[in-house]
Amino acid sequence: MDIQSVTSASAMLDRKPGGVKGAGSSAALAKPGALLMALEEAQRACEFSYLSEETLRAIAASTGEPLSRVYSVATFYSFFNLTPQGKNTIVVCRGTACHTRGSLALLREAAARLGMPEFREDEEPSFTTDDKLFTVRTVACFGQCALAPVVSINGTIFSRITTSKLCTLLDGLKKGARR
Amino acid sequence: MNAREMAAMAARGIVTVKPDVPMISVGLGTCGIGNGADVLFDALVDAASGGKVLVKKAGCFGFCAEEPLLMLYRPGNPILLFGDVKASKAGKFVDAACDEKVYNKLAKTARAKISNWDFRTSAFDFGQGFPEIPEWNEMPFFKGQEKLVLRDCGLIDPENLEEYVAVGGYGALAKVLGGMSPEEGIAEVTNARLRGRGGAGFPTGIKWKMMRQNVAPAKYVICNADEGDPGAYMNRNEIESDPHMLIEGMVLGAYAMGAATGIVYVRAEYPLAVERLRKAIADAYAAGFLGERIMGSNFSFSLEIVSGAGAFVCGEETALIASVEGKAGRPLPRPPFPAQKGYLGMPTNINNVETWCNVPVIIARGASYFTDIGTEKSPGTKVFSLVGKVKNTGLVELPLGTPLADIVYGMGEGAGAHKHIKAVQTGGPSGGCIPASKFDVHVDYESLASLGAIMGSGGMVVMDQDNCMVDVAKYFVSFTSAESCGKCAPCREGLSQMLRILTAISRGEGGAEDLVELDRLARVIKDSSLCGLGQTSANPVLTTLEYFRDEYESHILEKRCDAGTCESLFEALCENSCPLHMNIPGYLALLEDGRIEDAFELTLRDNPLPGSMGRICHFHCQMRCRRETLDEPVAQGEIHRYLADTMYKMGREKDVWARLVKEKKPATGRTVAIIGAGPAGLAASFYLSRLGHDVTVFDSKAKAGGILRYGIPGYRLPKDILDKEIELWKKLGVKFVFNTTVGKDVKFDAIRSQYDALIVAVGAQADKRLGVPGEDLPGVHPGYEWLEAFSLGKAKKPGRRALVIGGGNVAIDAARTLFRQDCEVTVAYRRSKADMPANAIELAGAEDEGIRIEFMLQPLEILGEGGKVKAVRFRVMRAGGIDPSGRPKPVETDRIVDIPCDDVYISVGERVESAFLASEGIPALKDGRIAADALSGRAVGNVWAIGDAVTGPATAAEAMGLGKRTAKAVDEELMQRDVFGTLFRDFGHSMDLPPEPLKTQMCRSKQVPPEERRGNFQEISMGYSGEQALVEAARCLRCDIRANARSPWR
Repeated sequence: MDIQSVTSASAMLDRKPGGVKGAGSSAALAKPGALLMALEEAQRACEFSYLSEETLRAIAASTGEPLSRVYSVATFYSFFNLTPQGKNTIVVCRGTACHTRGSLALLREAAARLGMPEFREDEEPSFTTDDKLFTVRTVACFGQCALAPVVSINGTIFSRITTSKLCTLLDGLKKGARR
Repeated sequence: MNAREMAAMAARGIVTVKPDVPMISVGLGTCGIGNGADVLFDALVDAASGGKVLVKKAGCFGFCAEEPLLMLYRPGNPILLFGDVKASKAGKFVDAACDEKVYNKLAKTARAKISNWDFRTSAFDFGQGFPEIPEWNEMPFFKGQEKLVLRDCGLIDPENLEEYVAVGGYGALAKVLGGMSPEEGIAEVTNARLRGRGGAGFPTGIKWKMMRQNVAPAKYVICNADEGDPGAYMNRNEIESDPHMLIEGMVLGAYAMGAATGIVYVRAEYPLAVERLRKAIADAYAAGFLGERIMGSNFSFSLEIVSGAGAFVCGEETALIASVEGKAGRPLPRPPFPAQKGYLGMPTNINNVETWCNVPVIIARGASYFTDIGTEKSPGTKVFSLVGKVKNTGLVELPLGTPLADIVYGMGEGAGAHKHIKAVQTGGPSGGCIPASKFDVHVDYESLASLGAIMGSGGMVVMDQDNCMVDVAKYFVSFTSAESCGKCAPCREGLSQMLRILTAISRGEGGAEDLVELDRLARVIKDSSLCGLGQTSANPVLTTLEYFRDEYESHILEKRCDAGTCESLFEALCENSCPLHMNIPGYLALLEDGRIEDAFELTLRDNPLPGSMGRICHFHCQMRCRRETLDEPVAQGEIHRYLADTMYKMGREKDVWARLVKEKKPATGRTVAIIGAGPAGLAASFYLSRLGHDVTVFDSKAKAGGILRYGIPGYRLPKDILDKEIELWKKLGVKFVFNTTVGKDVKFDAIRSQYDALIVAVGAQADKRLGVPGEDLPGVHPGYEWLEAFSLGKAKKPGRRALVIGGGNVAIDAARTLFRQDCEVTVAYRRSKADMPANAIELAGAEDEGIRIEFMLQPLEILGEGGKVKAVRFRVMRAGGIDPSGRPKPVETDRIVDIPCDDVYISVGERVESAFLASEGIPALKDGRIAADALSGRAVGNVWAIGDAVTGPATAAEAMGLGKRTAKAVDEELMQRDVFGTLFRDFGHSMDLPPEPLKTQMCRSKQVPPEERRGNFQEISMGYSGEQALVEAARCLRCDIRANARSPWR
């Protein structure tokens, strides 16, 4: 995270609410969802889209919030990453419709194709390759259920994915990324 | 903004809602974009540039399965709706918009038309014409839908405030601010009996009133758009397609409750919804629908967006408030309720997106307009996301109280003829699984709750036979367990314990006591959790335990997952779907390694009739073969037929047989009688005799084989193959008592008391009657009875013109047998070709032979002349809506046809003839099927039942599978031991991954040409050559190799 994004995040927190003041809570948080948005913005500004310890400390310092509170929020929500993410992100939707249409097999395939060492079903799957080129993750639901199963690659959602379609997509991505 | 300015704004909006120039609009919701709607839109803009065609972005019309959806409008004509439009067609659509000739031609491909539209806050006539194109609400997917919330979706540009105003938007707000008191507003919502659409169904009016009464320095209204239920996406669509209706609803609510600030809490996974809502809010501020002194009144209201960060529990209102306050989203105990002490300690009202979206209509049209829709207790509509294993997926909005069957089979049009729908999961992780037998339930809050499910936010996920219900329960519990905030022990600890048990069951490590424990845990979690997440998290477990207990038992007792989902419980999907669980990858690998004898032995141990079944099997294995996703399934059956034929030709089966005889278990001294020497009885006797029991098989015929010998014609299964295979039974020492009908020649009771165990395997061979006049005329033959008589040489020479009624395998067997008797054959069936239950290959064979097949004919009467059949009178049917079999229901037309004939063969199904058992105290179902335990096959005491006698007409493989299963159960019961597994052997086949597959077709065996088939019963298929067998075996993707979790595709 660079200085600029820390500043802009804290600037956002400093903004005073239009309506009620204080109301028994710290002024910084009277702006609805401010801490969440500051963290989201910081993560977005980071090249490896994650929140490093320094970033969390910087946000805590600039907002006057205890670090423990900032850490609690950052670890609570699945949107925040505490480890560096790959340049390319493959997100396999694990919503119910996708699950009934075989998304677990797609997750396995994506993980295996990109060299994820071992996939365990009972753990929150998130895996980044050593060269930081790829991250494979899951999402609870994209809300794209009618076209299940869906996979998002770098933010673009692909519908009605089959194993062979996924292989083609990943092979293309691999070629592009490693060239 | 005053009335005059608003009218001016509406006038500007109309120019693009119902323009004077041709217009093309594309549904640009997330679903559409995911299917290429953005590319299509860009192509349309390019194609239309410089012309006078208006190309417009619209929201989603709801039929997501058909995305991208395009609407084409030429002034004076109805809007035409097109589905699945490719970007390459953009030019064509622009041409059609400009040129009437092209337009009229293209109109023929329209899915539907919209002549007029009720925006609820206004109505538009677009134009008349095209009587041949159905109105949108005549299409099955939209039939019965009532678009109250989705009133504008797909028809207006969500990013254009003027269009929203043009169709009556913000009219309700003008009405309220122009003279309705807040109390009057609350009264309207109360009288409308609107209930929370987030799922709990709490009366919105009461909630608003409570909030109104609380006096505080600040009050907040919040929209819960944290649509975290996996499988539900209506809120996303509502915001993406019509954001202003949400804003208007919130302003109305804020006015009524006296709140000055509003917050929309949207989940971060919905970027498009956030973007559109952000723009809509900015536009509304600019136009004066938000901000200070709205529309010149004294009421001020500000609205902003908070984007969630992915936590399911934030859908719970106290957790959501914590999240908005910038904390981790952990819920608080209630009371105090948010209406008393919410955001920043101030009174706060939270409603779901859809609840807010209903408000403008209620205010604009009045409470009674709303209560006229839906049921007394649950007025109005609900939007559902109909997804999963159903043909038409998308968003459906229906009056509350609509039967679930109408949604699944009517709008969804079922899952097709080859899959059967097992359940619908409603309400996501908080909801339950409703079995198909309860689809007559009316969808409203109370009815769904009475089944243990909930309406929830409106997710409806349809599941078919390939979905395992234990896995579904595990899936949801693993979700809720991961999403549990961890604050209260019942939810945090209870869910992880439930997950542990469910995981063990799914791995075949469960015990019978686990079901008791699961049930107990579920009830404790439900009763003692702090918030809604925990309290409802047990529903998926409780409903599956209640309605699908047999699946749990099968996982625990048999270590099987019939659906083929729990991977620890099978080798490969082909093996799992084979009723005999043949180790298919095993024999394919052995064949590839040139170990033919071992390959044959492996098949024989799994399936004692490999040559016969390789010819006539229904090939359940192929239906789940993963190779099909690449090109075509592997022809597993052809290969075990090849193995058997090759071994028999060389006479090498004798060595294998000798091994089986030699390794027979020592005599147990127990006696087993089996009634029926068909596939089920043969399979049971094969395994029971190898286990050392003294087995006697009774059959009323002179030889063994049952339907394989007397039902299936020789051109499909030559009798010498069957004779050859049955020799093995004699070698194993199975005793046959032929020409003996139990119940007539010998008493059932006598056998029952004489033997330690008695297995009933009498099949289902009694032909069903049509129930039409003339059925008893000479020349009318029950189909199966006739095939049997024919195989015994007892059938009279048939007349020249044969008419077969029916569409199953018996009908086609009869037709093709008659063709070989030089008859002119016609088959008449009451549904369409795609819906015929007969094997596709048999149907194709019949057509090759020139057999005429007439579809959509329902027999009315068999006409006679001179005491003999002359013709059959049929009513012509047409395809109606989908019925629970997944096929279009035949519906009567006025047309009648007579088909002249000399003989009629009626093959409309068979039933079990079990009347002789009734007096013996053997339980039977109404249709004659014997009631037996699903897992063991035990009927009562020492009597067991297997095969078609239990299932009704099914496949030979399924009958053999039940025989095999019951042989194991009988042995365990008689001997109190578990040795069945020792009847099989590991041949140590290769576990090397095959190379990356190239696209290839399935190998086809050589066939006798149709013109050489008349007048003889020569086998049609000549089977594989050695080379073909090897090529085909190599096509196997080896799904069984998973030890290192590597995909065989690598």
